[in-house]
Parts: sequence; C-alpha cells; structure tokens
Amino acid sequence: MGFIDSHILSLMTFLPLLGAGVILCVPKGKDETMKWIAALASFLPLLLSVRLWFAYDRTLAGVNVASQFQFVEQYSWIPSINVEYFVGADGISMPMLLLTALLSFLAVIGSWRIDKKIRGYMALFLLLETGMMGTFIALDFFLFYVFWEVMLLPMYFLIGVWGGPRKEYAAIKFFLYTLAGSILMLIVLLALYFNTTNPETGAHTFNLLHYMSQNSHNAWLKGFDVRIVLFLGLFIGFAIKVPLFPFHTWLPDAHVEAPTAISVILAGVLLKMGTYGLMRISFPVFPDVTVYFALPMAILGVINIIYGALCAMAQSDLKKLVAYSSVSHMGFVLLGMAALTPLGMVGASMQMFSHGMITAMLFFLVGVVYDRAHHRQIDGFGGLGAVVPVYTAFIGFAFFASLGLPGLSGFIAEQLVFLGSFPVFRTLVVIGAVGIIFVAAFHLWALQRVFLGPLNPKYATLDEINGREIFCLAPLVVLIMAVGVWPMPVINLMNASLVRLVDLVKAVI
Amino acid sequence: MFLGNLASLRYFLPEFAVTATILLLVVLHVVTKSPKSTGSGFLSLLGVGAAILLAGVSPAGAGRSIFEGMVAYDGFAVFFKVLTSLATLVVIFMSMDSRDLAGRSQAEYYIFLLSTLLGMFLLSSATDIVMLYLALELVSIPSYLLAGYLKGQEQSTEAAMKYVVYGATASGVMIYGFSLLFGLTGSTQVAEIGRSLAAGKATLPMLLAAVMVAVGFGYKIAAVPFHMWSPDVYEGAPTPATAFFSIGPKAAGFAVLIRFYFTVFAAEDPGTGLWRLTSAVDWPFLFAALSALTMTVGNLVAVKQNNVKRLLAYSSIAHAGYMLMGFVLLSSAGIEAILFYLVVYLFMNLGAFYVVVVVSNATRGEEISDFMGLGSRAPFAAVVLSIFLFALTGIPPFSGFIGKVYLFAEVIHRGVYWLAIVAALNSVVSLYYYARIVRAMFLEEPKDASAIPVPAVSFAMLVLLAAPTLILGVYWEPVARIAADSVRMLTF
Amino acid sequence: MGGFPATVDFSNPYFAVLVLLAIALAMSVGFVLLSQALGPKRYDRIKYSVYECGVDPLTPAAVRVSVKFYLLAILFILFDLEVTFLYPWAVLFRSLGLFGFIEMAVFVGILLVGLVYAWKKGALEWQ
Repeated sequence: MGFIDSHILSLMTFLPLLGAGVILCVPKGKDETMKWIAALASFLPLLLSVRLWFAYDRTLAGVNVASQFQFVEQYSWIPSINVEYFVGADGISMPMLLLTALLSFLAVIGSWRIDKKIRGYMALFLLLETGMMGTFIALDFFLFYVFWEVMLLPMYFLIGVWGGPRKEYAAIKFFLYTLAGSILMLIVLLALYFNTTNPETGAHTFNLLHYMSQNSHNAWLKGFDVRIVLFLGLFIGFAIKVPLFPFHTWLPDAHVEAPTAISVILAGVLLKMGTYGLMRISFPVFPDVTVYFALPMAILGVINIIYGALCAMAQSDLKKLVAYSSVSHMGFVLLGMAALTPLGMVGASMQMFSHGMITAMLFFLVGVVYDRAHHRQIDGFGGLGAVVPVYTAFIGFAFFASLGLPGLSGFIAEQLVFLGSFPVFRTLVVIGAVGIIFVAAFHLWALQRVFLGPLNPKYATLDEINGREIFCLAPLVVLIMAVGVWPMPVINLMNASLVRLVDLVKAVI
Repeated sequence: MFLGNLASLRYFLPEFAVTATILLLVVLHVVTKSPKSTGSGFLSLLGVGAAILLAGVSPAGAGRSIFEGMVAYDGFAVFFKVLTSLATLVVIFMSMDSRDLAGRSQAEYYIFLLSTLLGMFLLSSATDIVMLYLALELVSIPSYLLAGYLKGQEQSTEAAMKYVVYGATASGVMIYGFSLLFGLTGSTQVAEIGRSLAAGKATLPMLLAAVMVAVGFGYKIAAVPFHMWSPDVYEGAPTPATAFFSIGPKAAGFAVLIRFYFTVFAAEDPGTGLWRLTSAVDWPFLFAALSALTMTVGNLVAVKQNNVKRLLAYSSIAHAGYMLMGFVLLSSAGIEAILFYLVVYLFMNLGAFYVVVVVSNATRGEEISDFMGLGSRAPFAAVVLSIFLFALTGIPPFSGFIGKVYLFAEVIHRGVYWLAIVAALNSVVSLYYYARIVRAMFLEEPKDASAIPVPAVSFAMLVLLAAPTLILGVYWEPVARIAADSVRMLTF
Repeated sequence: MGGFPATVDFSNPYFAVLVLLAIALAMSVGFVLLSQALGPKRYDRIKYSVYECGVDPLTPAAVRVSVKFYLLAILFILFDLEVTFLYPWAVLFRSLGLFGFIEMAVFVGILLVGLVYAWKKGALEWQ
C-alpha cells in the first residue's frame, strides 16, 4: 500500500502506457483480448483515483508551496539542464485527475464497437491517457510541456484514421493549430528558464513553483512589457485549447470527424487543459499581467458564451451542435477565472468538472444515434421519443444538464460563476446570463426537432440504447445528479487551493 | 608545440584504417572476377568499424596539433570522426540492401564512399588552410562520383554535373578567400591567421575573405543561398548516397565551419564563456539571417514536393538552418547544441532514408503516392518512418524535440527572439509536409495492396536507428555530456 | 563599424592599377555594349553561320572531343605530380633517413595501386 500511495500519481499516468505496450505485443487477430487489456489499463487508474479521493487532504492548498502538494514525487531527470520529474496534486488538479480517469475508462468501453485496427486504436488511446494524466500532475514546466505534446500525436492518428468523412483535414488542422500554440509555449518556457533561478542552488530551473515566487525572477523578467508578451504567448497557446474565440475554428471539424469516444475525450478532458494551464501556470507566474488582462479575458469568455450558443443554434448536424455548445460552456470557465474571486474561481473549476461529464454524456449519446441511423442531421429525424424512450430519457437528461437545469451540476457551476463574477463585471455577467437563454433555446429546439413531434417513418424501427452504452452513461448520470444536489464534496476538494490561487494573484494589486 | 611527422603517426590510426581499406578495395576490385559481389561491402564494414574503434580509443586530455600543425587531434575531431564513421556504417548497410546499386560494380562505390569518409576525417581536424582545401576537395570529388553513380540514368548524370559545377565554383571562391587571408597574414596556419587578425584592425580584404570562405562552407552544409545543388543532387543520386550526403558531408561541413570561425574570427572572453567576434561586421545578425533564410526556404519549398527524396533534401536544408541557430553567437552552449543535434539528426535522417530504400526496392518509386497505404503493406516500416518523421518535426517524446530545445534555448538565452519565433513557425510548417507522408501511409488506401517485404538486415538496422530516436527523447544525458566535452576540447 | 567602407589610400601604387583596370573594363565592356545597342541588326543566314575557312560548315560547331584525351591528360597530371614530389625528396634523401624512405615508399605504393587499377580498367589502352 505504501508503494502505491507514494507513487500513486506516476502509476495513474504510466499504467496506461504499460497497457499500450502490452497491447502491442498481443498476437494479431486477438481483438477481444486487446480491448480487455485496454479496459483494464484504463480501469486501474480509475481505481487509483478513488484511493486518491479518499487519501487527499482537503486542508492543504498547494498552488505555490511545495510542501503543501500531495503525493509528490521528485526525481532528478536530466541534471545537466536541471529538468526534474516533479509531480504532485493539489486542489486545482484533483478534479481533473478524477475526471480524466473516469472519462478515459468510459471512452474505452465506448470504443468497443471499433472494428478496424483495434491494436493501433487502443495503444494510441492509452498513450493519450498517459499524456493527459501527466499534464495534470506535472509541476516541472519541461515535464508539463512534454506531456502536453505527447497528446498531439495520438489525437492526430485517432482522428485521422478512425474518423468521419473529412478526417484527414480535421486531423491535420487540429495538429497544426495545437502545435503552433505549443511552440509559442516552448519559447515562453525557455524564456522563463533562463531568467529565473532556483533560490537554493542559484541555477536555472524548470520548476513551476520557483517560477511562481516573484523574487526568483531576474531584472529582465520583472519588466512589465516583457511579462505582457510572455503572458500573451502562453495565453495564445492555452486559448487554442480552451478553445477561445477566435482560436476555436479547429474544434467543430475535429469534434465532428472524430470517432465517438475520441470526441468524448477531446471535449471532456482536452478542452479543460487550456484553462488548467491558465490556472496552473499563467495566473500564478504572471499575477500582475493577469490582473491587467482580467477584463479582456472576461470579455473573451462572454463572447464565447454568446457566439458558441448562436453558432450552435444554426447547426443542422447534431454533433456540431454539441461541439459549439462546448465552446459556449468553456466561456463560463474563463469568465469565472477572470473575475479573480474565490467564488468565481470555484465556479470555473466546477464548470470544468461538470461540463466534462455533461459533454461526455452528450457525445456518447450522439454516437448512439449515429451508430444506428448513420447520419446526424437534426432535420432528418423526428419524433424518436416514441421509438426509443430510454434513449430519449438519457438525452433529455443530458440536454437539461447542459442548459443548466437546477438540481444538476451545470446549474451549480454556472451560478457560482455568476455569483463570483457579478461584483466585478456587472454588464458582462448580464450579457452572459442572457446567453443562457440562447443555450437553452438551441438545446430545447434540437430536442423538439429530433425526439418530439411527429414520428419520422424511416426510424420507426430504431434500436433502443443497449446495455453497454447505458454502462457508459450511468456513472455520469449519477455524478451529475449527485454534484447538482450536493456539490460540497467536490467544492471542498478544490476550495483551499483555489482560494490560495486567488489570493496569490490578488496580492499584487 | 606541433608534433613532427613521425610522432604524429599514432594519432592518425583511424585514417590509416580507412586508407588501408580503400587500397584493399581497389586490389579486390582489380583482382576479383565478378565486380558485382558483396565482398567489398563487408570489407568496407570492417574498415569503418576498425576506424570507429581506433577513433574512440583516444588518449585523454587536451588536444594536440599533429603533422607540423596541419591537423589537430582533439575531442572535437574525435567526435566528428566517430559521427561520420557511424553514418558511413549505416550507409554501407543501406547500400548493400539497395536495389538501385545491386546490378552495378560494388567495389568502386565503396571506394568512393570511404574516400569521402577519409576526407571528412581530415576536414573535421584540419587547422591549416591548405589542408582544409585538400580535405574539402577530398570530400567533394568522390561525392560527385557517388551522385553520378547510376550511369545509365539521366537524372543521376545530371545530378553529378550540377554537383561538379556548383562545387567547383564554391571551392574556387573559397580558395580565393583563403589566398586573401594568406596574403593578409603571411601564414597558412588557421591559428596564426586568427592571431594576426585579432592584432590588426578589421579591413575590407579580411571581411571579403571571411565572406568568401563562408561561401565554401555554406555550400557544403547546403545553407541558403548556396543550396541550389542540393535538391537535384539528392533526387538524382542513388538513395544510399543521398542519405550519406544528408549527414556525412553536412556534419563535416559544420565541423570545419565551427573550427575555422572559432579560430579565426573569435577570441574567448573568459568571463562569460561567450566568444567575442573580432570584426566590424555584425556577425551575429549575419549568421542569424543566414539561419532564418535557410530554414524558411528549406521548409517552404519542401511543402510543394511530391518526390520523397527531394522533400527530404529540402528538409535537410531546413535542418541545416536550425543548426545554424546554435552558431549565431558562437557560444560554447550553441556549439554543444549543434553537436547534440547532429547526433540525433544522424539517427532520424538515416532512418527515414532507410525506409525510403526499403520501399523503393519494392515499388520502384520515390513519390509520396508510392507510400500510400504503407500502414497496411509494411506496418513496421510505416510506424518506424512515422517515428523518424515526427522526430524530424521536433515533437516530444522524440529525440528531435530535445535537439530543437537545445538550439532554441541557446537563441533565447542570447536574446535573439525573432530567430526563435521564425524557427518556431518553421517547425509548424515542417509538420505539414512530414505529416503528408504519414497521412499517405496510414490514412489513405494503397493502389496495390501487396505486402512489402522488409529484409532481416534492414529490419535490424531500422530498429537500431529507431531505438536512439525514442530513447534519446526521454534520457539524453550521456549524449549531452559528450557534446559538452567535445566542445571543451576544441583546440587550434 | 570601424574600417568599413575601407578608406582608400590614393598614394598606393596599386591604386593606379585599379584605375587602369577600371578604365580597361569600362572600355571593353562599353564598346561591346555600344555596338550591340547602336549597330544594325539584320539577320542573314550566312552571316550567323560558323566560319570554317570559307567553305560550308562540315560539322556542327560543338564538336564532340573523344574522352580518351581527357583521360590521358588526367593520368598524366596524376603521375607527373607524383614525380614532382619525388624531386625534392630525392634532393633531401640522405637527411630524411629511413623514415623518409618509408614515407615515400608508401606514397609511391598508393599511387602504384592506382596505376594497377587504371591498367586493369583499360585506361591505358588508346583505342
């Protein structure tokens, strides 16, 4: 138990990689074996995440104090340039770790019907899971960057080989866009490396916690213009991932063309990395610039909310509608973060967690209907509620969760964001709240067109949702309801850290 | 200070090994009945292997100047000798596997290959401008012959012609620059030239000489605007020869560029470890501009290519541009970055060419369309080629990323941010054309779905090339230390 | 940027040479350009054909020279340079001692291998 506890984060990260290695060695043709190995390799981190939930001390804040991080592992990796394998968890990363573990396992189960090149698919997916986990636990910027980039390759192949009709275009667009942002991040990374020193040894360091302590910055790095440029460089890199308008154009293509389970992971986890990066790196390292850009960031967030909702309303493809709804929901996260209040920050983090689950449900459900009808045109359906009532119940639930129905987690998150931002950005919050009307509008309109109304005779014999698909959805349903009614356990998980984060940023004012 | 001829002999053993192998190959070729046997291939392997062993077993300590100051024996030279020998070793395996060369006289091919290697040994260690010129010609002339080796094919002959004309012009300009330096300083010793130039002030002839010499070196590393020969030569030459050109002469060219410029135009500032350039021209800007131009031209033109060999030629021009980033301020850290990058580049690039050889053996074609569906026709080769291509792009967790990080780090540390941004944008552009090949292999269906065999030796070599590409992406400390030590031991 | 552009020293004797060179260049290039620009351009097939002692051209202007001349010239250069190295060695033979002898023997030996190669490849055959 001791070994597991002291290395729990590394185990969660590298067990999937080990699984990928095992899958590569399985003899050709044993597709079922490969699927079960993948399921096991993604189930083990989920088990470990349960242990994480119980072992995490909710009073420690972390953020910028090394001793307050938990499950820390710190080894020297490349001594000549002071790169360390430094990982740890705090309230910012905990919800993300749990979300990733859960969604990865559900996505593997959701991929059960993939029929070609299972070996490659599962191996790449597990590699992707390693990259995702690693990004959330890394506290050394170089390590963070490596894990961040490790995610790109598998995504390119997963979209490009197993995707829809325009998969190659979507895949390369995703890859180029994200790589451009990452390279900007690399430049900022190196600029930070050369201009900060480790307080103990006086050498250059990649340690994020050292970056957060402003006295380790040298004179050049303390110059405000320099800091603005570096902050913007990081911001663009993260904004591409969020995705923030106007860097969002890769998202509709990537989401629509990706296979179901990959869309789930893309929307559920990968989008959160952008805002996670802002919380983990940009805000603590450049607090003064954060405060300087708070209003523009909030404006961008609100633009996301409104623009995403309006675009979603105009869609005829159900999956694209869900994709744009993701754009809209991520706007709430940024709004909450930009407010720089404890409530706003908690709301933002809660929205990351909640939206992860909700959007995962939505993509699974869209995948269900696509599997049966082989198209996703909203106007091509009609009155499906009569034929597939269980499925309609699930998707109705998901749509209501997405539009923020009280009693479900989305409501909690959005309300916390509004409560936290209203004191700071009165007008913007009003506009954002109006945006919710649009969100509700397109969800209900889509629901009505597809499931209610006269039955489209073509689908009178549609298959009902099956046990495996329900297995993917049920945990999410339970969690969404639980968090919606009793959010305190999740809020307690992140509260201490987020309050410390806000204090850290506000300290410069 | 200089070692006399007799005493220098024991430092010259790798070169002896290579020379002896060349002579034995000539004898073998003359004596043997069938010139198409592969005995010469194995003999060359032995010779190059012996050279690596002898080069690696180097007496420790600071370097010394041997053969009356003509040649230097130091860690820097040893690094390049081992590097180029390794490249030659891989190329010999590639040549033995290549169908292009199968029907032709084997021994002469290996004679040319090993002669070029001997030239590269001398080029990495030359400290006298006469020796420098000799070594450069010894690298170039067998290269011309290698480029034109496929006698019946028009493309090959055209490649050789272009190479000869371009190479001769570049060497001519370079030797003129050398003669100006000799005239200004009265000495052919590179170190002497450096000292006299440091003493006097910068004059027009000296700057002219420096530029002319740069033409010669720039031609060898295929930097823009001296790169025009490169795509045609790479496309027309037999693929193993192309692979050889992309790493061997390029590495030797960098060796001589570094050694020459360090010695003549820089003087060490013991305070910062940064080399001050004793000249009036803004050298950092000049090299930075050269670097930016090279990588941009290389990458942008590569995007339009459909022939994989030509694409890889332009990509190697671009990589020379990246490596020049380390050269911008002539700092020790920058040179270390170049040396590190050369090591990882050797594995990535030779690996990519090896897969091209395997594929063209079966499909007789070198276009991207010949790689379509390789994921199903030859899965191992396709996966391994993807590894090499993504490593060349410079994304983690491959070794190419680490190489780029070192180069980027140097440029950012010295404050030349615009160059870093240019290099960053170039990396993204390069992803596009490398991904085109990957896309053809995995995302498209093959025209002809028959399997492509990967012979056992090729398989083993691909594994041996892919392994460092993967491992060095995760743990690269030893190579970084070797690079750092080699720079420290640079003597004049 | 000290020293660039370089200051010109007018009392330097080579300066006069530079002026001469410049004028000569200007005159020769200038006259050619002038005649090309100002002269009449009337195309006449006979005027533009190759001059071959007044008769009609028997072969095209670019005659293919047999490569054996080139081969012979190259071989001559190689072995002539070998001899060139032999002369100073011969002069200093005594003071160079055994080391010098072995060194030259190796040199001649390498070239001997080359000679055998050329011989066996038929480069020494005239036809």
